[in-house]
Amino acid sequence: MFDYNQIYRIYDIPSWKLALAISGGFVLFYWVGCLFIRPFLRLFVRSRTGTNDVVGYVLSCFCVFYGLLLGLIAVAAYQNFGEVDKNVSREAVALRALYQDANAYPHPVDQDLCWLLRDYTLYVIKYAWPLQKKGIIPDGGRVRVTAFHERLLAFEPQTRGQEILQAETLRQFNVFFEARRMRLHSVTTGIPAVMWYVVLIGALINIAIVWMFEMRFLTHLLLGGMLVFFLGAMIFLIAAMDNPLRGEVSVSSEAFELVYKSMLEESNLELED
Amino acid sequence: MKKNKIDAASGLTRRDCLKQGSGSFALASMRALAPLVFAGCSELIPISNATPVRVGILHSQTGQMAMSENPLRDIELMAIEEINAAGGILGAQIDPVVEDGASRATTVFPKRAKKLLSESKVAVVFGCLTSAARKAVLPVFEESNGLLFYPASYEGNESSRNIIYTGSTPNQQILPAIDWLLSEAGGSRRRIFLIGSDDVHQRIENIIVKKYLQDKSVLVVGETYVPLSQKDTGIAQDIRKTSPDAVLSTVTGDSNLSLYNEWAAADVTAEQVPVVAINVGEDELRRMRSNNAKGHFSARSYFQCLNTDANKKFIDRFQQEHGYDRITDESIEAAYSSVYLWKAAVEKAGSFNVDKVREALASGVKFEGPGGELRIDPKTQHAYKRFYIGRVGKNRQFEMVFQSADTIAPDPYPQSVFPGWSCDWTNGGVKKGAEVKIDL
Repeated sequence: MFDYNQIYRIYDIPSWKLALAISGGFVLFYWVGCLFIRPFLRLFVRSRTGTNDVVGYVLSCFCVFYGLLLGLIAVAAYQNFGEVDKNVSREAVALRALYQDANAYPHPVDQDLCWLLRDYTLYVIKYAWPLQKKGIIPDGGRVRVTAFHERLLAFEPQTRGQEILQAETLRQFNVFFEARRMRLHSVTTGIPAVMWYVVLIGALINIAIVWMFEMRFLTHLLLGGMLVFFLGAMIFLIAAMDNPLRGEVSVSSEAFELVYKSMLEESNLELED
Repeated sequence: MKKNKIDAASGLTRRDCLKQGSGSFALASMRALAPLVFAGCSELIPISNATPVRVGILHSQTGQMAMSENPLRDIELMAIEEINAAGGILGAQIDPVVEDGASRATTVFPKRAKKLLSESKVAVVFGCLTSAARKAVLPVFEESNGLLFYPASYEGNESSRNIIYTGSTPNQQILPAIDWLLSEAGGSRRRIFLIGSDDVHQRIENIIVKKYLQDKSVLVVGETYVPLSQKDTGIAQDIRKTSPDAVLSTVTGDSNLSLYNEWAAADVTAEQVPVVAINVGEDELRRMRSNNAKGHFSARSYFQCLNTDANKKFIDRFQQEHGYDRITDESIEAAYSSVYLWKAAVEKAGSFNVDKVREALASGVKFEGPGGELRIDPKTQHAYKRFYIGRVGKNRQFEMVFQSADTIAPDPYPQSVFPGWSCDWTNGGVKKGAEVKIDL
């Protein structure tokens, strides 16, 4: 039984190798088909005048729809990628702002809150990101966020200033929490399987139509090869940008790394004070 | 025009030659490109000699105990990461499975322990901090023949075949603290006031202390207990009225803060009547903004100020990873060393099997940790521990004033309190003596 999740292992392959594998695979498939399938397909169309015109007309009609489909999917994948990237940055920024608020609490609550936030950030970088790359929704962040929230709620403001600080920190926490939920939701976001089936079937039909052209064998290999190479490149592009948190072409944890670096630097300064 | 010339010798047309040539070319290309194209695929499966071995980490990551137990989880993960980076154990990488006890000792801890042992099939668990949590998970470990490394100091009066105790027992901490107080270096104190948090742990410890002091011509001038959640102790004046020359404190948590504040407010200096605390470490000190604890003492098996290369390296690594204001304490050190001690035992046993690892631990494997050598007493399955006295100095850190000449053997059943009780896992296990009634 084919495990559909196995297909995601393509994200573990470096991008250039994946590009070469998909595009090269298409070309290879096309060439092999030229040798073994094309002779059968030609039986339907050969020795009739104007065959190439008919095949060319069908191909151009088909390519309009198929090209449109590929183009729209590529744009959707790119937009989705951009959205996730933006949301990851939003979470990191909210986290840093929350850290700033936490620093304003009286001692030792400030230290407790800052430690818990650093702990969360480090977890996201070291443990959550590798899990996300595997398509697993990380669970360890939940307890860290809960610990922070509990500690925050345990604080009882004594002054008007502290009341304002508490209210602002809770508001900031909600912004952060929302962005975090969005990121977790993005872990499994991707083009639906059924759409991939349509893309692949379309690619097969495209290749089959090209096989039907009546031309010299070497010309077939060259012109058809170029066409399917580009087809493979398009499909690689969509595959690479699909699932924005997986694979080499994915949203990185850099935003969190920068935040964590600044948190560590601040902890060092506080110690010097 | 002839389209296909026939080769007279082979009988092949030009088209046949072209087809065969193309086929050969395609196959040759595939063969040439295959290593290049599929080279990345080797990265799909981590190359390892053995499948990863799962280990459990069971601490309260949420709830009241989160601030105290999260550092233990962090340090255990750090140790695992170090071990993995160095090649793992017996060629296998360690895969930590972290569970949250949620500060609910009797309800959540046993369930999580069961999950780790039966579902995650972990080889070992590093976990718990409170005695209540340890006691709650103990039956689960005994039933499943699991192995738990427990890193905290505790009151003794327990020994399980399935628990490795790497914290101190009273004879390794509170009793040496008394010896030091009675010695010239400690000021030859003779009138001692006992104060503790109102918990089983502290009450048992004070029973042990009182029995111990009976033979030493020392007067216990008073004894009192502070409710666990109470922040204001309000007892400084009461203690003062009894004119003690030292206070032995087993108070835990935030109550320490008010104890020192009230003690200072009562105009009693550390030189006049020092407080020797058992449960005040670096974490308690960092919570105190004031200098009211300065000059008072703490008795521990580890201090962050310990001046050894191993300790400096350990602290550097921890702070570089988690922040320069983070502190270590005796439980954190014990938790870190526990992971390495288990590693040493597994390597000696050549297996992750609990019984074989236990045998290896009993055979005297040791780990030179940040706090010194860690090894397990085969009879009690408790660790040999060193004893230190630290004085609260500047920057909310301790200055070392005394350390034991050697490690102290553990004794979970001091005969003065538990007559007839003993423990020898090399010969029959726990031998029960007379029933000891602890009046709470």
